[in-house]
Amino acid sequence: MSPWLDGALRVLAALALMLTNGVILILMLRKVLARFHARIGPNRVGPKGLLQTVADVGKLLTKEDFAPRAADKWLFTLAPLVVFVPAFAAYAALPFSETWVIADLETGVLYTFAALSMVPIGILIAGWASSNKWSLLGGMRAAAQQIAYEVPLLLSAIPVIMLAGTMDMGVISEAQQGAWAVIPRWYIFHPIGFGAFLLFLVAALAELNQTPFDMSEAESELVAGFATEYSGMRFGFLFLAEFSNSFIVSALAVVLFFGGWTLPFLPVEWVAAVAPVVFVLKVYFGIFVLMWIRGTQPRIRIDQLLSLGWKALIPVSLGGILFTGILLKVVG
Amino acid sequence: MPDVAKIAADLERAGLGAVQVAEEGLGVVCRADTSDAPRVLEALKADGFEMLLDLFGADTGEGLVVTYHMRSISLDEDVYVTADLAYGGTLASVWTSYPSALYPERETAELFGLSLEGHPNPKRLLTTDAVEEPLLLKSTAVRTHEEVRRDG
Amino acid sequence: MAEHDDVREPVLIAEGASAPAGLPKGLRRVPRGVDEFATEHLIVNMGPQHPSTHGVLHVLLELDGEEVVAAEASLGYLHRGLEKLSEHRRYHQIGTLLDRADYLSGVHTELAFARALESMMEIEVPARARWLRSLLCEITRLSSHLVWMGTFGMDIGAMAPFLYILRDRDAVLDVLEEITGARMMFNYVRPGGVLYDITPKAEQMMLEFLDRFESTYLPEYHDLLTGNEIFRARVRDIGVIDRDTAVAFGLTGACLRGSGVAWDVRKERPYAAYGELDFDIPSGSKGDCWDRYMVRMEEIRVAGGLARDLLDGMPEGPYMAKVPKVLRPPEGEAYASVESPRGELGVHVVSDGSDKPTRMRLRPPSYFNLAVIDEILPGHMIADVVAVIGSIDIVLGEIDR
Repeated sequence: MSPWLDGALRVLAALALMLTNGVILILMLRKVLARFHARIGPNRVGPKGLLQTVADVGKLLTKEDFAPRAADKWLFTLAPLVVFVPAFAAYAALPFSETWVIADLETGVLYTFAALSMVPIGILIAGWASSNKWSLLGGMRAAAQQIAYEVPLLLSAIPVIMLAGTMDMGVISEAQQGAWAVIPRWYIFHPIGFGAFLLFLVAALAELNQTPFDMSEAESELVAGFATEYSGMRFGFLFLAEFSNSFIVSALAVVLFFGGWTLPFLPVEWVAAVAPVVFVLKVYFGIFVLMWIRGTQPRIRIDQLLSLGWKALIPVSLGGILFTGILLKVVG
Repeated sequence: MPDVAKIAADLERAGLGAVQVAEEGLGVVCRADTSDAPRVLEALKADGFEMLLDLFGADTGEGLVVTYHMRSISLDEDVYVTADLAYGGTLASVWTSYPSALYPERETAELFGLSLEGHPNPKRLLTTDAVEEPLLLKSTAVRTHEEVRRDG
Repeated sequence: MAEHDDVREPVLIAEGASAPAGLPKGLRRVPRGVDEFATEHLIVNMGPQHPSTHGVLHVLLELDGEEVVAAEASLGYLHRGLEKLSEHRRYHQIGTLLDRADYLSGVHTELAFARALESMMEIEVPARARWLRSLLCEITRLSSHLVWMGTFGMDIGAMAPFLYILRDRDAVLDVLEEITGARMMFNYVRPGGVLYDITPKAEQMMLEFLDRFESTYLPEYHDLLTGNEIFRARVRDIGVIDRDTAVAFGLTGACLRGSGVAWDVRKERPYAAYGELDFDIPSGSKGDCWDRYMVRMEEIRVAGGLARDLLDGMPEGPYMAKVPKVLRPPEGEAYASVESPRGELGVHVVSDGSDKPTRMRLRPPSYFNLAVIDEILPGHMIADVVAVIGSIDIVLGEIDR
C-alpha cells in the first residue's frame, strides 16, 4: 500500500471514530444526565430515543449560519476549527490494541497532551472574536485555567512515565499486563500511581472544562461563556470537540492508570482478540464517571480554581515526581 | 401600640410641634408637612424606629399623600408618617437615614409625576421614558389596547 | 423627573467646593496624571436575558476583571401595573391580580389583601378558614422554598437539585390543585374565609408527600448541597449583610433572619392560625449566603411540621363567613401583612367607601430585599453576584408588579 493511501485511510479512520463517538456520547450524556437528574431523557425519536442524536445533528446542520454583526468574522469562523482540529489530531496516538493504533509514536503521551493543550487557544479565539462581553470573560477564564492546569496535568502523568520508563502509550499499556496476586498490575493500584491518578483526575476535569471546573462555559454566570454567540454547525464543532476531548482524556487515564487494553486474570491471547472493545469499554466507563461528576457537583469559583491549581496541585505533583525518583533510585 | 404622647413630645422637642400625632384606624399616624417629613423621620429614628418598611404615594383627588411606614424591631411597634404634596411637587429624599427608601422614592416619583430632591440616582425605576403620563395619578386612565389604537 | 445622565462623569471638582490649593482657576478636573498601568472597567448587562437572574432582572455591573466595582439593579421588565389595575376593579376581583404578583406563593398575597379588607370591614373569620389559610400558606411556603433551593443550587452550578425539587414541587402542586382547583393562580383566599374546604383525598396526598419528603428527599438535598465542600466554599462569607445594613435597607424574611434578627410576622403579629401553633423561627448570625441558605432549609423543615400540625388540629365548622356580595369597606386605610416565603408581604388599602379601592399598595418583600445588592455586591466576583442574587430569593413578578 502506498504511504499516501495508508495515511489517508488512517485519518479517515480517526475521523470516523470521532464522529461515531460524538453521536454516541451526545445520546449517552443526555440519557445518563437524565438518570442522575431523576428525569427520563429523550425517548421520542426512534426506539427508546436512540435516534435522538440524528435529530440533533439534523437540527444543527439546517440552522442558519449566523454570526453577530460586530464579530471578527475571520476569527469567528476559525475558532471552532482551532478547537476541533487538535481534538481530532489527539486520536492519533491512542493505542486501541497492540496493533490498532493510528500513529505509533514513541512520545505518544507527550503528543496527546500537546494536542489537548491547543484547545483553550481556540476557546480564547472564540471568546475574543464573538465581541460579546460574556464570551470574552469565558475566553479569558479558559486561558487562565489552561495555564494553571496544563502543568499539573502533565506533571501528574510523569510518575507513571517514570515507572514505565517510556512515553509510548502502547508500551505503557503492556507494562500493566498481569497481576500482583489478586490485584491487577494497573498503575492505579500502585501507591505512586494512585496519588498521581487523583492529581490527574482533578487536573483533567479542569482541562476538560468539566463541572466542577467548567469556568469558561459556566452557564449560570457567563450565559454560555465562549459559546454564547455560536449556533448551528459551528456550535456543533465546539460540542463535538468537547465530547472528543472527554474521550481522549478518559483514554489517557485508561492507558496511564487502568492498563490500557489489557485485562488481568485472562489469557493474553483471549484478551488480544477483543482488545479494542476492552479499551473502548474502559474509556466509556471513564466518560460515565465524568458525567456522574457533572451531574452532581456544583461549580467552584475562578479564584478558588486558580489557587487550587497553583498553590496545591503544582507543588504536590512536583513533590510526587521527586518522591517517585527517590523511590525508584532506592528500590531500583 | 406606640405611645402617642411620647412620640408627640419627642417631635415637639425636635422642633416639630406642628406635626399632628393621632391614633387612627391604621395605627399611630403623624401628619407632617412635606418639608418636615425628612426631619420627622430622623426624629423617629432616634426614637428607635430604625426600619422604613414602606414608602408609597396615593392620589386623593385633591392632591397627593406620601406615606412612610416605620417600624421599630426592638419595641415591636409601627408608626406611619404622612405628608401632603401638590401634584408635580418635590419629594425630599430620606435615603441618608433610611436607605430602604431608595427604590420606593424613585417609584413614587415616577408613578405620581414628582421630582426628587437629594436622591443619589433619580432615575425612573419601573417604566421607560415612553410612558409619559404618571401612571398612578387618577387623571391617567386605564385603557385597553383597542382604545389606545383608536384614540392614539 | 429630574434630568439624569447615564454616562458616568469623571471625578469633577464639586461646584461650590473649594478647589485644592494651587489648582489653576477654571480647571474642572483634578489632574491625576497618566497611570500607565490603569485598566479599563468593563460594564456588562447581566440580564434581562440571563440564565441566573431569576426571570427578568437586569443588573448593570461595572467590572474590574472579574471583580464587581459597582452594581445597579434595573427593574420594570415585568411591570404590569397591578396596583393601577386594582384601582379599577371591585374588591373581590383583585385576588386574581394578586396571584400574579408573587407567582410562586399566590396564597400569601391573597391572604394579606383579604386580611386588610377584613380588618376594615370587621369581618370575623371562622376558625376552620383560618386553619385552612395557614395550611395553604405553609404548603406554598414549602414549594416556594423548594424552587428557591433548586435555583440557588443551579446558580452555584449544581444541576441536580433543581430537577429533584421539580419532582417534589409537582407533588405539592397536585395537593394544591386538589384543594383549590388550581396549581399556581389560586384565588382561593377570599375576604371572609376560603373558597373550598379541604378534601380527605388532599389530606392524604399531603401526608403521603410529607412522609416521603421528610424521610428521603430532604436528607438527600442536605447531602447534595449542604454537605458539599464546593458548595460550602462558594456560599460561606459571601454576600455578608450585617444586622444594621439589613435593618436600614428594610430587609425582611429569611434575609433579615439570616442576619441575626429573628423577626417573623407569624410570631410577632400572629395571623390566621399561627397564634395557636407552636413553631421555631430559625435564624442565622453572620448574614452571609450560607446563613440565608440554612435559614430557608430549616424553614422547609418547619413548614412541613406545621403542615402536619395544621392537618392534625383542623377545627370543624364553616370555612366562610357571611360577607356581602359587593364589598364596600368604610372610608379609611388598613395595612395587613403576612410572612411570605420572601419576607413581610404587606397590603395597604385606602378606601373611599366605594366598591373599588382608591389605592392598593403592595409591599413586595423581595423588592426591598433586592435593593441591598447595590450595597453589598461591590468587591465580589461575577460568580458571587449570581450566588448573592440567588440567596436573596427574588420573584420579579412581585418586584415589578
